[in-house]
Amino acid sequence: MSVEPMKVIIAKPGLDGHDRGAKVVARALVEAGMEVVYLGLRQTPESIVNAALEEDADVIGLSILSGAHMTHFRRVKELMDKNGLGDRLLTGGGIIPTKDQEKLKELGIEKVFGPGDDIQAIVDYIRTWHRSRST
Amino acid sequence: MNSDRRTGHSLKPELWDQFFKGSRLACARLITLVENFPELVPEIRDKLFSHRRSAIRIGVTGPPGVGKSTVTAALARRALKKGHSVGVIAVDPSSPFTGGAFLGDRVRMQSLIGDPHIFIRSLASRDGHGGLSPSTPYAADIFDAFGMDRIYIETVGVGQAELDVLTCADLVILVLQPGTGDVIQALKAGIIEAADMFLINKSDLPGTESLLDSLRFIFEISARQKTIPRPPILAASALHNKGLDEASAEMERLIHGLIQSGRFQKKKRLRLEGEIKASILQNLWEQFSTLTNAPEEIQAAADDLLKSGQSPYPFIRKISSRIKMETVNEKTCCENRR
Repeated sequence: MSVEPMKVIIAKPGLDGHDRGAKVVARALVEAGMEVVYLGLRQTPESIVNAALEEDADVIGLSILSGAHMTHFRRVKELMDKNGLGDRLLTGGGIIPTKDQEKLKELGIEKVFGPGDDIQAIVDYIRTWHRSRST
Repeated sequence: MNSDRRTGHSLKPELWDQFFKGSRLACARLITLVENFPELVPEIRDKLFSHRRSAIRIGVTGPPGVGKSTVTAALARRALKKGHSVGVIAVDPSSPFTGGAFLGDRVRMQSLIGDPHIFIRSLASRDGHGGLSPSTPYAADIFDAFGMDRIYIETVGVGQAELDVLTCADLVILVLQPGTGDVIQALKAGIIEAADMFLINKSDLPGTESLLDSLRFIFEISARQKTIPRPPILAASALHNKGLDEASAEMERLIHGLIQSGRFQKKKRLRLEGEIKASILQNLWEQFSTLTNAPEEIQAAADDLLKSGQSPYPFIRKISSRIKMETVNEKTCCENRR
């Protein structure tokens, strides 16, 4: 295979039960040729990073609509760094206020997506990151 | 992709050091390498072969949606309780249209999360069309060398004839559910014959008894049965946690029998033979296509044949005669050397 397929984890941390967005994004990434490991609802940061490690995932995408994004993103990032996954992409989406997006940037989470964002923008963002990583 | 993962066409020694020290990330990376870089497979195999410890490989196969992942998780949990170190390889299909894959087996394996003695890896089937990905046997060997002594290999949801699982499992469990077909379906050749054990999941649903009857019937009338013992046929309900202790115990009995009877060794030998033959075939094709310009000729011939509507066999005979010539040349040159 000439192009190495990307492996992406899609997960919903915490107790938020709204998984439609996560499914829509997962499906879009599959249609863009990526291999998506779908973890689904009620994951912990530990279970997400453990899965990313076992799957040797390139990307972790978190879907959070509960308002607990700062806690979850921070913890997942910490665990990624601790487990040797600091060079992977952490991104996500949900209801994340602009001021929190700025704080997430400080943690190294460059970009998250929200309502109204084009699904293609997510695909492009991941692909661009992947290309810059390959070179 | 990642410069830290490999240097040119060989692996960094650090990766091996980490792997043999028990780094789970190194184990995960090696699996990625056998998935993405077939050219690295011989080197990885060479290094790992002597480190394998004869882990038992259990194939779990069956139609889509019958509960393979749930059953795999239930059996794996019981193996963990007995003190085994467990590897799970869960294969889901790749899209033939986009190359993407939705790998959803982990969703059914939540109860296993957090145990340090289990390692779950999802694989997309990619170019595999027999229920597994081409790299599955290599991933199983990596788990074996990493110290897992029980390896569960869950196939893509299969129909009647996807039998790749035989190429890498010591024992095949066929998971079925009520309502998937009558006795005529059960009589058909293929996957039914490959199973060492039948597990009818969702036995809380109606139709379980008639499926049990159908399966028992085909083994009653089978002449092969004189030489091969009838596979156990069990019913379970993973949802209600019923029948799985029995299934796990039955599986352990089968494994014990496999080892005692020498069939375990025989299966391993057959798999090794298969791998050698497949590699030779691959090498032959590569040599043939580099020595001749076969790929171009085949393409041109296909064009002509489509236009002329002629049978392809005269061309096949002509081009195949060159294989014979190459072999003869090789033979004479070997004899000369002697």
